Amino acid sequence: MREDPSSGFSSGPEMPDELRLLCMLHNIGATESGRSLTLQQISEWTRMDAPALQFHLQKLIELGYVQFVQAEGTNKYHLTLDGIRKVLSIYS
Amino acid sequence: MLSWEFPPRVVGGIARHCEGLAKALAHDDHDVHVVTLDFPGSPGYEEMEGVKVYRTATELGHPNFLTWVLLFNHFLEKRMADVSRQVEFDVLHVHDWLTAFAGVSFKHYLKKPMVLTVHSTEIGRAQGLHSADSFSIDGIEWWAAYEASRVVVTSHSMKREICDHFHLPWDKVDVIPNAIDVEKYNASVDRGAVRARYGVGWGEKMVLCVGRLVPQKGVEYFIRAIPIIAKRYPEAKFIIVGEGWSRGYLEDIAQSTGHRWKILFTGFVSDAEVIALMTSADVLVVPSVYEPFGIVALEGMATGVPVVASHVGGLAEVIEHDRTGIFVYSRNPESIAWGVDRILSNYDHAKWLTQNAREKLHKTYSWEAVAMRTVEVYKKAVGE
Repeated sequence: MREDPSSGFSSGPEMPDELRLLCMLHNIGATESGRSLTLQQISEWTRMDAPALQFHLQKLIELGYVQFVQAEGTNKYHLTLDGIRKVLSIYS
Repeated sequence: MLSWEFPPRVVGGIARHCEGLAKALAHDDHDVHVVTLDFPGSPGYEEMEGVKVYRTATELGHPNFLTWVLLFNHFLEKRMADVSRQVEFDVLHVHDWLTAFAGVSFKHYLKKPMVLTVHSTEIGRAQGLHSADSFSIDGIEWWAAYEASRVVVTSHSMKREICDHFHLPWDKVDVIPNAIDVEKYNASVDRGAVRARYGVGWGEKMVLCVGRLVPQKGVEYFIRAIPIIAKRYPEAKFIIVGEGWSRGYLEDIAQSTGHRWKILFTGFVSDAEVIALMTSADVLVVPSVYEPFGIVALEGMATGVPVVASHVGGLAEVIEHDRTGIFVYSRNPESIAWGVDRILSNYDHAKWLTQNAREKLHKTYSWEAVAMRTVEVYKKAVGE
């Protein structure tokens, strides 16, 4: 994904890890419930280990950017509308 | 027309620009087709005031940003191929680098001229090219401008920037300013109710800042101005409207001002709510550090709120200092506080500024005028 677009602002912020994950979820297409992904699938795409992934997903859920659905006995995750808008605001 | 954003997929100014231009062109009896990306809840095809809108799903994804851009361009191309079997185009109009791959491919496939509107540049957005991705995007922007028959920008400062940076011939680039639908901003609003909704009490000042929460918008400097403004106006409330990846960082700065309880971050709000907020505010601050045009200043002017803006880029061309708004230095909290005080301390002067601003808006920034000038560019591109 695109690197920190703020890097020219020396005193500015770094993009938090959970937002990097949010962007990756968006780019791999987890943008609606029908395209939600399991933790394992997300881990394969992002190459993040499960504990870190769970930690960041929980934060994104609390922020309202990600929600999960339960299917076949497992949680599957996808972006909410607010999550999509958040990503688009990063790319714009 | 090719754009990666078109309502209701609204990210920044590009969606509104494309919508306003496309509708004005269609209203003037041009056959306008917009190919864009999908958005949850929106139909794959619809007609909006005569504009044919095709929304395309990106069926394959990839976590890497640039790979994702290439993939969605591929799906845009597929959709355009379908459309071009039924419609004969005269000209392709591409907005920004994100849809350049599809645009350039179709330019060569259809053997039709491509017009490119550069809304901003990577080097401007990121204030330099500090990463491999930024460097790649800069290269794609250069390539798109090279392939285009004509290039359109929204301000003279942008023309200088891209002619200099991409070594474009001066006469290849046309300046056509942005516009807004003035009537849309002339809404009847219960100011008291809106202010109450955002916690602004009777007799309190409402200072508004609208923009994406990214470094180029300079919201950090607005927040750092709050303690200075609050010294003179302890009853003032500060409403920050918008969403963006640096929100957490900005909320931390807000916390450090000692005035956190007076500062409200609304997140994303609808267009109608933005209009209600602007109409109800005492002053609108546009503290950008990089701004190719600055449509939010026009929106503020249309609602009748006095505007305090950084003297940068396109903003410097939209506003006349002390006639239609107040200029302040960018990245300068003291200057921002001075500008806000100049508005809040002199009601009659603020009123006069807003009257002048509205007059200028009606004369200069209508979509009809933008469409007319864009058609002239299309004619140049097709060699008429």
